[in-house]
Formats: sequence, structure tokens, C-alpha cells
Amino acid sequence: MKNEYDVIIVGGGITGAGTARDCAMRGLRVLLIERHDIAAGATGRNHGLLHSGARYAVTDPESASECIRENQILRNIASHCVDQTEGLFITLPEDDLNYQATFVDSCRNAGIQAEIIDPKEALRLEPSVNPDIIGAVKVPDGSVDPFRLCAANMLDAKLHGAQVLLYTEVTEFIKDGNTIKGVRTYNTQTKRKGAYYASVVVNASGIWGHHVAEMAGVHIGMFPAKGSLLIFAHRVNDVVINRCRKPANADILVPGDTVCIIGTTSDRIPFEACDDLHVEPDEVNLLIEEGAKLAPSLANTRILRAFAGVRPLVSADNDPTGRSISRGTVCLDHEVRDGVGGFVSITGGKLTTYRLMAEEATDLVCRKLHIDKTCETAVTPLPGSEGKSFREVAERIWENPTTIQKATVGRLGSGAARMKDNSVLEQSLICECEEVSVGEINSAIERLDVSSLTDLRRRTRVGMGTCQGELCACRAAGLLVKAHDCVEREREDIRDFMTERWKGMYPIGWGDALREAEYTQWVYKHVLGV
Amino acid sequence: MKFDTIIIGGGLAGLTAGISLQQAGIHTAIISSGQNALHFFSGIFESSETCRERLIRLFSTAGIRVQDIPGYHLMPMGTFREAGLSLEDVASFPEKKIAERALIVNFMGFHDFFSSFLAEGLEKEGTACRIRFIRLPEMEHLRQSPSEMRSVNIARVLDECWEKAVADIRVLHKDEDLIILPQVFGLKDASVPEKIASALPAHVVFVGTMPPSVPGIRTQMKLKRRFEVLGGTFLMGDEVTSAALHEGVVSSVTTRNLDSVRLFADHFILASGGYFSKGLVATPNRIVEPLFGLDVFQASDRNQWYRTDFFQDQPYMDFGVRTDTSLHALKDGVPMKNLYAIGSVLGNTRKDDFGTAAGLAVSTAFAVADAIKESQKEQLP
Repeated sequence: MKNEYDVIIVGGGITGAGTARDCAMRGLRVLLIERHDIAAGATGRNHGLLHSGARYAVTDPESASECIRENQILRNIASHCVDQTEGLFITLPEDDLNYQATFVDSCRNAGIQAEIIDPKEALRLEPSVNPDIIGAVKVPDGSVDPFRLCAANMLDAKLHGAQVLLYTEVTEFIKDGNTIKGVRTYNTQTKRKGAYYASVVVNASGIWGHHVAEMAGVHIGMFPAKGSLLIFAHRVNDVVINRCRKPANADILVPGDTVCIIGTTSDRIPFEACDDLHVEPDEVNLLIEEGAKLAPSLANTRILRAFAGVRPLVSADNDPTGRSISRGTVCLDHEVRDGVGGFVSITGGKLTTYRLMAEEATDLVCRKLHIDKTCETAVTPLPGSEGKSFREVAERIWENPTTIQKATVGRLGSGAARMKDNSVLEQSLICECEEVSVGEINSAIERLDVSSLTDLRRRTRVGMGTCQGELCACRAAGLLVKAHDCVEREREDIRDFMTERWKGMYPIGWGDALREAEYTQWVYKHVLGV
Repeated sequence: MKFDTIIIGGGLAGLTAGISLQQAGIHTAIISSGQNALHFFSGIFESSETCRERLIRLFSTAGIRVQDIPGYHLMPMGTFREAGLSLEDVASFPEKKIAERALIVNFMGFHDFFSSFLAEGLEKEGTACRIRFIRLPEMEHLRQSPSEMRSVNIARVLDECWEKAVADIRVLHKDEDLIILPQVFGLKDASVPEKIASALPAHVVFVGTMPPSVPGIRTQMKLKRRFEVLGGTFLMGDEVTSAALHEGVVSSVTTRNLDSVRLFADHFILASGGYFSKGLVATPNRIVEPLFGLDVFQASDRNQWYRTDFFQDQPYMDFGVRTDTSLHALKDGVPMKNLYAIGSVLGNTRKDDFGTAAGLAVSTAFAVADAIKESQKEQLP
């Protein structure tokens, strides 16, 4: 039959991408369907924290031990996405220092190396930390670039034969009695309908999985918990800073690339709100206030933008914040649970544990297909991470790598070697804030399914820096025009891109952010005539 | 040091006021931090109806030519807007079909000139377009640093070798009746664009690039020179650090570069610009005027400062220093006796009387210059 696969995965976030990779590596014929772009949901809307598991050690030991195992695996298989920063759990004068002992014990029980250090030592390790701390514990937290991680999984899935359809919505399940046989789809860009068949459909759609399951006639009691975060324009800290207390609001500060991120809040929201999240002024105030307790200099650091994501939690009780719900993996075989054959949901979990989630889902798919293949994703490096250190990779490609070339290797890992050529024209910068060159953009357009500026941003960091696209959006659009030969679409694209950038700017629209915004709004409207 | 008038801010408003006052023999100093909105000037004077004739006269004495042709301006992204008073640099046409065939020429690797958008916009209106690139050896050193291929850097190179670019363009030109070039010519010498036009066998127009704006910077240099030729004192790269205020009168200011010297004047004009120029500073809770602590018209709730649509007019742009009808700035609800506010620091608070943007800058500058001239006359015995 045409359009027939072993497995169809619905959702192009990290869970879907990881599952597609695992299935494809085990030899299945895989189709992944995503209604927007890769990493467009919760995958791209979090701290980018590579959990050591310490945060859950006391309240959710199962998640904690999953996290530390996966943490160590990702350091190897996704080295080009991971920054091995280490983490601190600090106790402030207002916190109960007795919690520290419980915390350290729980960490050790979960297999997390947790070392109590002198507050002075903590200050030496991380000079930005609040000097008033009365206690500090060192743990193996890290930071991870979720966009890069998702793109690398997607790329590897494709290298193993998986097919990927972006901007494609599942509109309906094709059923034979109580068994799912496939999906009907609608491509929002080409406006074309399609039908695809498979023995198993995996629902890996995050919070939207609630709706996907309903379409299949299954109810998963999901719990949309919105979390808001702020990005600061400087990398204030080099070590992840957490509060050593029960998980609460705004108690994690994570360095990532050139910035750092404080978060989160946690509020239950209606399902309808998941597609259009706004960060409220109260949330912004709270994040700044609490953030400054972790690192006082945040109070005077420029904020780049505010954003929010929705955790795909599965309801366990009536906790209105969702903080007490397990962050562990939920893998549901709907044939057993609901009598709907050929349908699996994989949800819950965390960015850090995506690979394990993918493994569980793939194991279940394989059992259903009577295939006996072991999972190899824990030991096989992702594309970009096969090489050695960044410096070695850079030096193998360029004799004397410039800072821009080093930035490129930082993003692409060994994949940087595939950059087309090194002519001066290709080295010219499009995005000055993030040092993204013409060559890197062209290479992303060529290899990574880019159809818009926002897609390009997720794959290259274009427009993520201090100017938030003011300088680079039109330049990058020029390159997209060259590749796709469609000016009209790019005009619309620039408008969408700037609107999306603005959405994260106005909640923190004061100081330098408003200066930048005034300039940008003036230039786009009155000078360029966009 | 004593002046008749001190102007804080060396952008379009400050320079226009300064020139008008110097022309009347009123000794004026301008304190300029350096960058101002002329660096991203589109060349179009928004809402300049009230001051049109005076603006043309003042600019022509400074050697800046403006035009006022009915029709349309061609914008850098290939869109059109209704023509108004503008610098002569701005490409203007009687109708949207601007030619039968146009040749658009850009410099290789210059990403701040949007040739493909221009072509699409023009083809929609019936002008067939061909895009070609040129590469001059003189420009290659710019590429050594990947962020140097920007308008002003290119313009500096072209100031020395524009004839070579013209020679290359001549080779590329076939039968087009129009040649479109980026606005990167004549930074130093305003006559260059005209010379290029006469050296090429078709009508030539120049279309804007991503800022910095070459015509804007040239305009600023010319206005500054005119102000200085008239005897004005231009304090470049300096900032006001403190002001002495007493009973609604400003007596003196100090600056960063002249820290021990107090600068005295009979009149002070605040032309310090909007948010970008730091004439207005937004804190998380309110918007302030940082030098004198003047009253700022604003919405008290931060939620009311913005609209979610990036391309809509934003309420924060309406906020600005409050004044009385004769543009005396208000402090604690009372007009300052010798401190005026002009240009973007007013936001859109005086839109109905003085317009917006460049029109606001020029018309408020004239109004305040006139008021100061009047009061100087009255003081004569």
C-alpha cells in the first residue's frame, strides 16, 4: 500500500524526534508528523536544564534516578548540545538549612553525586551567587540546547531512513473497528490533504497529546501547567543555581550559550490557552524578584525576553500547581488500557529523560510488531557529537578558527565540517549578536528543513540575541528568498517573525529592551517599509 | 562658560533650533552625545506641513537639497508610500510603474540592500527587473572582518572609488531605462549621486539600506557644519551630567567632558530624543525624563504601554515630556520659565499642533527658536 509505514509518530518535539530516531535505528519504517516545526512546543520552551535529578531527589525519587542516568548518557551521545556546567543547590538565610541533609541523603539514594561545600567555596565556584548563602551543595547539573538536541535527533532519524512531515496536522485517525490503522492529515503550507498508514501510531505530542488521544477515542487526564521564564542578555552565571528547598517558583537559574534563564512559574491553564501563551506582568515581577535572590546582579541585568511553555503532566491528584505530580515517564499502551489497538502514548517525563521515554515507547512498538532489536540510542552518538572536543573539530576544519567559526562548531559540532565552503562571502555575518554566518544559514536551509525565519531561528539561533532580529531578520530573509525563490511568502514571514519576537519583548519592555524595540519598530515601519 | 542658549541634543531638532538661533545672532551651544535618530533617517519628513517653506530654506543654506514631488517614494523593501517632502536622495516617482525595465545593482555580499524584495515589489507594478552584483577589489579588505560589509563602511570606500563602480555598472547595463543602486554613495560629497546619474546611460535612483543611513549621516554632518559656520558651539560626544534648577529656572548645566566648568545660559532647550537616544528612560514602573525630572505624559499601568501587534502604533511612542502651549517643559505641573522641550522627547504629546517624527523635530525647533528670539528682543533696552 502507498504511504505505508511500520510506525507513525505524531509530534516533532524532543520526544517524537527521539522516538523516531530509536525506531529508525531499530530498522522500522518511520514517519514523523508535526503540525508546526520541530521543538515548537515545550521542547523549546524551558530552561534548557540538563537535570542531575537533584531537584526531584526528595519529592520524586524515581524521576531523580531516571534523570541522573540520562544526564550521564547525554553527556556522551549529545556532547555538542550539552554544556557540562555543574550545579549548585544553595540555602539562603530565609531557607531551612536542615533540609540540606535530607536533600543530600535523597540525592545519594538516587545515585546523584551531591557534595556539601563551604559557602565561600561556592562563591569561588560561582561568583555571581548570592553572597548571603548559608549552605551549598554541588551536583552534576548541566545545560542543554533543546533546539540543537531536537534537530540532531531528527537529522539522525532521517539518516536512518525516517521520513518527516512538518507543518502537517493529524485531522483524523483511520480506524478498523477498535484498531488504529493510520492518520489523515492536512498540510498547512501546501493546503494538501493526505492519508498515511501504519501498524502502530505513537502519540508524542506533549500537552497536545490530550487532544490527539481524544481524536483516537481515548482519554488521558492531562494537566496543562504553564511555566514562564525570563532570558537575561548576559551569561551571569556559569554554574546552574538552584534553591535547596522543595521545588517552588523561580528557583532555577541556568546558563545557556551567551545568556541565562530564570524560571519558572507554575499555573494550571485551560487547554485552549496552550496555543497562545502570554507572560503576565505579575509573573515577570516574581521571576525578577526571586531570580535576584539566586544571583543579585540579575536585578540590574538586561532582560532579553519572556516566554512560557506548558508541561505535559498527567494528572494524579488535584494539586492546582502540578508541582507534586510525578515528572516520570508515562507510556501508555491503549490496547491494554482502553481497548484501542495500534495506539501508544508517550508523555510526562522531561527534556533530560527524552531518550529513555523514546526507548520505552520504541520497546512497546517493537513488542507490538514482534520485533526483537535492542535499543542502541544510549551508546550511539548523535550527528555532531561523533567528534572530539570543539577545538579539535574546529581545528580539523579551519587552520586558525575565528571566534565565529568556533561558535559554528559549538552549534553544529562535527557537522560543521559539512559547511559548503569557507569563502569570505560565506563567512560574512547575518546575525551579529549570535555570530551566525551566511554559510551556517545556507547549510541549515539545505539540510534541516527550514521553511521560515522562525524555523531558521530554532536551528541556528538567528534572531535570539540582544537585537532580537532587528538587524538579521531581513538579511536572513534575503537568503531564504534565494533558496526558495518566493519573495511574497518571505514578506509575510518577516512580519510573523517580528511579531513573534515582539511577543517575548513587550512583557519586559523597559530600559534597553524598549530602546531596542523603539528603534526596531521605527526602522521596520518607516525606514524599510516592511 | 556662558551662552545665550544651550541645546541638549544634536539630532534634527537640536540642529534645526541651533541654526535658527545662530542665524538671529543668538549664541548657542549644542551638547551632543553623538548618535541620534538622523543615523536611521529614512530621508522622508513625516508631517512637515506646518514648517515646509522654512525647512526648505534652512536646509538649502546648509547645502542639503530636498524635494517635494507628488507621487510615490520607493521604500527599501520594494513597497511604495505616498510621497511627501524628502531629501533629494529618496527615490520618488509619479506613479508605481516606475520604468519598463530596471537594472538593480548591489555589491556582492552586501546583505543590507534588499534587491530581491525590491524586484518583486516593482514587478508587481509592471517594471521588469534584473538583479546583478558587482565586486570591487577596494572593498575586499572590509570582508576580512565578517561584520564590516555595512552601509557606512561601504560608503567610505566608495567615496574614494565610486568611478570604478560606475564603470562596472556600465558594463552590466543593457537596455534598461532605470538603474537602481543602494544608498551608499556620497557620504562625504553630496554631489556624487548626481555625478553617477550623469555618467550612466539610464535614469538612476538610489534606494535605502538597513541603517546606518548614509543620507541621514550626511545630513547631520552638513547641518552641524552650517551651525558651526554660523558661530555655534558644538560639543561633540559629551553628555549633560547635572543641571542647576531654582524656582522654575535652569541656570547652568555641567557635562562629562567639562566636569569642573559650569555652562550658563539664558535659555535651555531639551532636544534629547526618545527612548533610543535616552531622552526618555523607561523603568519597569514608569517613564522618566532623566536630566531634569520633567513631567512625562504616560499610562501608569505598564500593561497599557504596548499593543501585541508589533506593526501597530505603540502607546509608549505617544508618551513624552509635558509642555505648555509654547513648549515650556512642565515640572511638577508648573512650566519651567527658560526650559523648552522639542523633538522626540515630546513623544506624540503635541502631535495635533506639531506633527510627528522629523516634522515634529523641525516644527517644534522653529517654534522654540522664534519664542527665544522674541524674548531676546524684549530684553533689549
